[in-house]
Amino acid sequence: MKKRRNKDTAVSYLWSAPSLLLIALMVVFPILYTGYVSLTNMNVYHWFDFTIVGIDNYIRALFVFDSGFLSALLATLLWTVINMALQLVIAFVLASLLNNQKLRLRKLYKTLLMFPWAMPGYVSILLWKTGMFNTQFGLFNQWMEKAGLAAARWLSNNVSAFLCCTLVNLWLALPFMIMIMDGAMQSIDKSYYESALLDGANWTERTRYITIPAIRPIIAPAVIITIFTTFKQFDVVYLLTQQAGAKTGSGFHTILTYAYENAFVTNNYGYSSAISIIIFILLIVFSARYQLREEGDE
Amino acid sequence: MTRKKKKEKLGLFFLNVFFIVLCFVTLIPILYAVSVSFSGQSGLLSSDFSFIPHDFTLDNYKEVLFGEGIMTWFGNTVVLAASTVALSLSVAVPAAYCFSRRRFPGRKAILKCLVLLNAFPAILSMFAIYRLLRPLGLVNHRAGLILVYTGTMAVFSLWNTKGYFDTIPREIEEAARIDGASDLQVVIRIVMPLARPSIIVTGLMVLIYVWNEYIYATTFLTGEANYTLAAGLYALQATEMSGSWPVFAAASVAVSLPVLIIFFLCQKHMTSGLTAGGVKG
Amino acid sequence: MKKIISLLLCLCLCLGLAACGGRADPGDAKKLTIWHDKEDAVVAALSDYLSEAVPDLEIVFEKKTSLTDSLKLVGNDPTAAPDLFIFAHDKIGVFAEMGILTPITELVEEGRLEDYLPMTLEAAAYKGEVYQLPLYFETLLFMYNRRYMQDDEVPATTGELLQYATDNTGRGRYGFVEQHSTAYYSAAWIHGFGGSIIDQDGVPFPDPQAVKDALAYHLKFVALMPGETEYSTVNTLFLEGKADATIGGPWLVPSARDAGIDLGIAPMPTVDETGKALAPYSGVQGIHVLKFAAENKKEAVQELLDALTAPSVGIDLALASGCAPANALCYDDPRVANDELVQAMRGTAEIAVPMPNIPEMDVMWTVVGNLLTDVNLSGKDVESSFSSAMDKAEELIEAMG
Repeated sequence: MKKRRNKDTAVSYLWSAPSLLLIALMVVFPILYTGYVSLTNMNVYHWFDFTIVGIDNYIRALFVFDSGFLSALLATLLWTVINMALQLVIAFVLASLLNNQKLRLRKLYKTLLMFPWAMPGYVSILLWKTGMFNTQFGLFNQWMEKAGLAAARWLSNNVSAFLCCTLVNLWLALPFMIMIMDGAMQSIDKSYYESALLDGANWTERTRYITIPAIRPIIAPAVIITIFTTFKQFDVVYLLTQQAGAKTGSGFHTILTYAYENAFVTNNYGYSSAISIIIFILLIVFSARYQLREEGDE
Repeated sequence: MTRKKKKEKLGLFFLNVFFIVLCFVTLIPILYAVSVSFSGQSGLLSSDFSFIPHDFTLDNYKEVLFGEGIMTWFGNTVVLAASTVALSLSVAVPAAYCFSRRRFPGRKAILKCLVLLNAFPAILSMFAIYRLLRPLGLVNHRAGLILVYTGTMAVFSLWNTKGYFDTIPREIEEAARIDGASDLQVVIRIVMPLARPSIIVTGLMVLIYVWNEYIYATTFLTGEANYTLAAGLYALQATEMSGSWPVFAAASVAVSLPVLIIFFLCQKHMTSGLTAGGVKG
Repeated sequence: MKKIISLLLCLCLCLGLAACGGRADPGDAKKLTIWHDKEDAVVAALSDYLSEAVPDLEIVFEKKTSLTDSLKLVGNDPTAAPDLFIFAHDKIGVFAEMGILTPITELVEEGRLEDYLPMTLEAAAYKGEVYQLPLYFETLLFMYNRRYMQDDEVPATTGELLQYATDNTGRGRYGFVEQHSTAYYSAAWIHGFGGSIIDQDGVPFPDPQAVKDALAYHLKFVALMPGETEYSTVNTLFLEGKADATIGGPWLVPSARDAGIDLGIAPMPTVDETGKALAPYSGVQGIHVLKFAAENKKEAVQELLDALTAPSVGIDLALASGCAPANALCYDDPRVANDELVQAMRGTAEIAVPMPNIPEMDVMWTVVGNLLTDVNLSGKDVESSFSSAMDKAEELIEAMG
């Protein structure tokens, strides 16, 4: 009996091996390597001849975690919560509407709504920045002008920059969320709804008791991964407001753009690795709490 | 009855209006790019913009399709994307099946750790990955990039397909097993077809990731002849001194089209035959 | 059906792996790979010249988009790094400290560098060694649109420029625009007030008062300019004829000519308070030799560098894309001497300050960029913004080592 179980385990690992091996190489190894580099003095002056310096870098890194870092951390938390909430709600509503079988053109709508996803991210962000938000030529200000309003500097104060970044982030991220939700909703056996309809359940009840519980396990991994992506968001914020040579005057930083300006520009790999590891640990601490809650629910 | 029908029709009408408006609003930035791509002016920016270009021209698309080596980049991207999708699915599906159906020591721990791995800011992974690829002789090699892409997407692929496998009732498999099918047969004949939407979604995700990824591509590949579309586009735009916005816009639109076409084609398969043959109720 | 699909997938995979072309043997002593991120015209001129001058060498130009980032990654690795690369001089300090560059004085015959403009060699030198063979240089220029600004209206001082900008700005038009909150452009103003961003020993803002004066004065101009500081807005305004004058690089000239602008180029205005002209940074574009190539392909590299010291390559570059050659002998050629653009850059080169090439400059780009944004766009006060920028600069420089 035991032998049989051992064999089962071996078979399981054998089948999973290619996937796990690739993850080990491309995801786990870089983390371990960064951890190793963070203990060395690898920088411009010791590129090849670096030595182990212990936790020196971590001690210095703590200086980066000053008030600027704390406010960036808070902004990032706010950013993550707002973005995720909007994403989930909007994607859920749109996906349920799109699942209306009587909507003949739904395939077309779905495809059109996927468009933002089909473009490389930086292209879209550049389009938004120059095409929409630009104070001189952007469509927003052209519309403002037509409406007889004063031109606005969309990206130059913290609150409006935050909102603009959120808008762009939603635009970029919603297609994926809609698609995942849509896929999940299609996995629900239609007979559940039929019997619920017979029982006289209305839309809210059906949503609450059938749709949400059914799609939850399917979308959970995608949602968790998106939470991390949102938390680690760099491109949207950096390219829209903080790009070197094209700053807009907004003080809104996520922890990654903040770390970029305060550590990564130094070309000190040991030091910036230490900061990466600290951010990594912070994120794990946050998500550990999230996971515990998830289990409590079950 | 007719009143109910009328009400339904009215609702449907508003739903259609809603989606038409939504699609238009969503597409505004892209329509902007399309308009610029057909315009002959030398700037992306113009103070008197309209969605219909003032001086309509196809020159930008001509330049995209016949100049700048975009067809070469297209070929590179197709090879890269197809290989990555194939590799990703062929490693993810068996692993996902094991994690979904089998119970073995370490399963839960591994699943949890995999999610946590996403917490690492990838900006610094580059250096480590270079250190990894160099001894393997895979820097400047497409095989290297394929491995990097597959590895990066592996956690997602595994989780996503596993999530879907979890929803497929075991009874269906049991029935097949009683008929004498082996594990492999069960997976290929029964689970895979049922999990088609999820496999397609996963494949599409990997495809779009590879299609749009430019940081690894510009770093690990050298020379314009080896570029992918995204990397080439990035190069077009990065040299601001020579960059032409209309050409760039045309290239952006051209790059996105294949993905959209594939998306449109896949939709049919995503929706079809989901519950067919399944155990009802 | 399933079988066919899986077969197809396998085929794709095999094709993908098989299609991965190998790289040529790095040991080939006659083959030199050069990374660059330059315009096609420059590379075409160079490669045409070299195919005649050194026909026995196989020179491969490879365009690399994020060239410096990639070099930091591959360093000196013969399987992945190039043999040489063409880039501006401002990263010399970083790469020299990394230990991947060879001083070109070891590879070029003595005396070959005598005719080079002193500014270019000064720019290429780091800690007493010359790490770059200069090819051409760029500086910012004062440009104006003759349709709106007549030759006799061209301001000689910043006071006149301010007056002109005040009189001609409004209703969607601008008298003068520049990338006002970008470190590269603001350096001209800081230098005009006698300050600098960093000195040779890596001390940030050696003359704080000058920097603060420059920021405070420049603010008057910023008020008359658009809220964007990035390249595309500023240049489009000028190219669309919505701005009368600008400070821009030579790369703006071809597009201005394409746009049908009657382009005038004038000397930089002088600052009334100090009597000094706005002195922009100059960037010297040149070729750098990686250590591996210098050790293993010495003869080929020497031959190549020798060919590149000839004046004719500079003349070719000047004629092909309006570059200002680093070799003074090139200016003896009447075609180069009569080129308005090249002459203007050579004139500006007399006052221009080569970008600092010490590694510390890398962090100063960010610090100065933030300082300018704080003062110009966020409306924070000069004094406190400056002192926090100073702290940040010292902290980041400290964090480098």
